[in-house]
Amino acid sequence: MPILQIREAIRDAMDEEMARDERVFLMGEEVGYYNGAYKASEGLLDKYGEKRVVDTPIAEAGFAGVGIGAAMAGLRPIIEFMTFNFSAVAFDQILNNAAKMRQLTAGQFTVPIVFRGPNAAAHMLGSTHSQAFESFYCGFPGVKVISVATPYDAKGLLKSAIRDENPVLFFESEVMYGVKGEVPEEEYLIPIGKADIKRPGSDVTVITWGQGVPVCLEAARLAEADGIDCEVIDLRTLRPLDDEAVFESVRKTNRVVLCYHGWPYGGTGAEVADRIARVCFDHLDAPVERVCYEDINMAYAENLEQLTLPTPEKALEAIRAVSYHRS
Amino acid sequence: MAIIVELPRLSDTMEEGVIAKWHVAVGDKVKRGQMIAEVETDKATMEFESFDSGVVLKLIAAEGESMKIGTPIAVLGKAGEDPEAAISSRSGGGGAAAPKAEAPAEPAPKAEAPKAEAPKAEAPKSEAPKAAPAAKAPASAPALPREDERIAASPLARRIAREHGLALAEVSGSGPHGRIVKTDVEAAVARGGAASPAAPAATASVTTTGGRPYYSRPDEPQKLSQMRKAIARRMAQANTEIPHFYLTTTVDMRAAVALRGELKNALPDTKVSFNDLVLLATAKALETHPGVNAYWDGQTIVRRGDIHVGVAVALDDGLIVPVVRFANQKSLKTIATEVRDLGTRARDKKLTPEEMTGSTFTVSNLGMFGISDFCAVVNPGEGAILAVGAITDEIIAVKGAPAVGQRMRITLSCDHRVMDGAVGAAFLATLRGLLEQPLSMLA
Repeated sequence: MPILQIREAIRDAMDEEMARDERVFLMGEEVGYYNGAYKASEGLLDKYGEKRVVDTPIAEAGFAGVGIGAAMAGLRPIIEFMTFNFSAVAFDQILNNAAKMRQLTAGQFTVPIVFRGPNAAAHMLGSTHSQAFESFYCGFPGVKVISVATPYDAKGLLKSAIRDENPVLFFESEVMYGVKGEVPEEEYLIPIGKADIKRPGSDVTVITWGQGVPVCLEAARLAEADGIDCEVIDLRTLRPLDDEAVFESVRKTNRVVLCYHGWPYGGTGAEVADRIARVCFDHLDAPVERVCYEDINMAYAENLEQLTLPTPEKALEAIRAVSYHRS
Repeated sequence: MAIIVELPRLSDTMEEGVIAKWHVAVGDKVKRGQMIAEVETDKATMEFESFDSGVVLKLIAAEGESMKIGTPIAVLGKAGEDPEAAISSRSGGGGAAAPKAEAPAEPAPKAEAPKAEAPKAEAPKSEAPKAAPAAKAPASAPALPREDERIAASPLARRIAREHGLALAEVSGSGPHGRIVKTDVEAAVARGGAASPAAPAATASVTTTGGRPYYSRPDEPQKLSQMRKAIARRMAQANTEIPHFYLTTTVDMRAAVALRGELKNALPDTKVSFNDLVLLATAKALETHPGVNAYWDGQTIVRRGDIHVGVAVALDDGLIVPVVRFANQKSLKTIATEVRDLGTRARDKKLTPEEMTGSTFTVSNLGMFGISDFCAVVNPGEGAILAVGAITDEIIAVKGAPAVGQRMRITLSCDHRVMDGAVGAAFLATLRGLLEQPLSMLA
C-alpha cells in the first residue's frame, strides 16, 4: 500500500472528488497559485483551472459566505481556512447561515459545504493562532465536525464530508500534515460518526482525537511500564459522536481519561465526560479525568507553551490516577 | 447526621500514617479547608485540611498512633449530636483501629443499641433489588442504604458490593480520601468479609541467676516513624538488589578553602558552605559524565535527562533527602540559598513530597561530624551516591618537601549494573578537578 502524508491524502481526496463530481470546487487563501499554505492542494489548479480552484482575498467572512451561497445554489464547495483561527472572522456565516439554512428554509435549501484547515495549537504561534475550535463548532446543531490524525482517516473522511448534504467542519493540524501512513490505492470512504480504536486495551479508556492521538498513543506506551493496558479511542467525528464505541470501551475498562487539544471549560471533552457519567455511571471505578490545555490563553514562549499543552507525561499521570496506581 | 473523618492519603506512597498533633479539640467549630491535624506520613509531616464543616464531636485517633489510611480518626456534626451512632453505623463489621483511644466507659460494641434503626437498610438487601420499586409505597421514598451514602465508593464498587450483598461499611477503601474502589470490594468478596485481628502483647521483665542475680530488662520494640519504615524498606532493597562498588579519592581543597573565604566577604548575605561547592561541582561533573546520572530500571539503563541532586539531611529520628532541581543550571548562590531553605524546612518536616522526590544523584556529607571517609548506600532509582568526608589539615608532599594542606576524601558508591569502575573513576577525576580549581565552575 502506498505511504502518504496527511497533506497528500487530503489533496488526493479533493482531487478524486473533483474528478468525480464537477460541482465540487476549492476556494481559499493561497489554494491555487501557491498550491496551498501547507501544500494540501498541490497541483489542483493546474489540473482543474481557475474556475474550480479559486484564490481569494484575505476576507474569510466574504468567501465563507460566497461558499454557502454557492452550496445553496447547487455546488459543493470546499472552503479552506489557512487556519481555523481565521474562521472566527467568518463565525456568523457558519453559525447563522451554514448551520441553519436547511431548517430556516424547511429543507428547500441544503448547504453541502466543507470548511477545512488546520486547527488547534501548532508550535509557537501565540495566543490568537493556537486555538482549538471544536468546542465552538460542536455546539452548533446543524453541522458535522471531523478531526483527523492519520492519512487513511483524512482521505476517507474528507471524501465522505464532500459528499455529505450538510455543512462539515474538517479539522487538520499544521504539525501533522507530514504524518505518514498507509492509504489504499483503491477508492474507499469512511462513514462520518464512527470512532476508531487506535490501540486496543483493557484497563483504561483513553479518548482523544486530532493532535491528541499521537500524545495518547505515547502515553499508552509509557503506561505499559506500570502494567496499565490502555485502550486509545480516536473519536474521528466529534459531531455526531460515536457514543456506543465509547460506552462499550468504558464498560470494559471502568476508567476514562480524555486527552485533547482545547480549553478545559465546557466543550467537547466535557460533553463526552458528561455522557459517560450518565450512561456508564455504574461502570465507573474512578472519576473521569481530562487532560487538555491549561485554562489560559496560549503563551508564545516555547517553554510556557509546552506547559500549557497536553503531553504524554500529563496523560500518563491521569492514566495512573484513574487506575489508582501508586508509584 | 454526623460525619466520620478518615485518615486521608497525603502522599502517593502513603499506606498508613500517624496523627502527629491535633489542632482541634472536642467542641471546636471546623470549617471546610481548615487545618485540623498534622499527619506524619512516610515522607513528611503534612497538614490535614478538613473536607467538611461541623463541630468536633469526638477525636477517635490518639496522637502518635499508627493507622491505615481510611481509618476513622474523628467525628464532625452538629453541636450536641451523639458521635457514637455515626461510629457504630460506620464500623459495622469491625473496622481496623477502632475507638481504642478514649472511649471512656463504653467499649464500641455498646453502641450497637441504636443500631436497631440504622442497619435496617442493610437487612432487606437480599430481597431489595427487585422488590423495592413495586411494593413499599409508604416507606420513606428512596430505599437507599443510608450508612452507605456517606461512604466514598466508586459507582462500580457500589454495584459490585450490591451484587454480592456486601455492606460497604465492611470494606476499607484504598482510593483517595479512603474511596472504596473495585479492587477493594473484590478483595473483600474474596476474603468473605471480616478484617484481621490485632498483634500480641509484649513480655514482662524478669531476673535471672548465673552464680549471682542479674537484673534483666526486656527488649523493647520501638514504635517506628513512617520515615524509619521507609528508610528500612528502601535501604534493605538497595543493599540486596544493587551490586555496589566503591571508589575513593582525595581532593586538594586549598583553592576551595581560599575561594570560600573570599565568598564570605563578597556575599555577606549568603552563607556558602563547602557542601554547596561540592553540590555545584557534582552537578557540573554529572553534565560531563551522563553515564553516572543514570539508573537501572529493571531491564535497562536509563540516562536521566535532567540533573536533580539530592542532599541527605540528618534528622533526629531519621534522614531525608530534599532535592536541588536542575542543579547544573543554577548558580552557586542559588544553590546555597536553596539548600539552606530546604535543610531548615526538612528539619521542621515541612517539605512537600515534590521537594523530596525526583533526585537523579545524591550527595551525603558527614564531614561536619569529623568522618574522614565512608561508603554510602545507593538510593534506589539512582546509579550512584557521593559520600563526602571532612576537610582536614594534612601533611602533604609539595615538590618533594612536606607541607600542610587541606584535604578532603570523597567516595563514590556505584551501581555496577549501570557503570563500571572506569566510568566512576572518570567522574571522580572531573569532580576532583573542579573542586581543586573551583573558579572553573564559576566561569
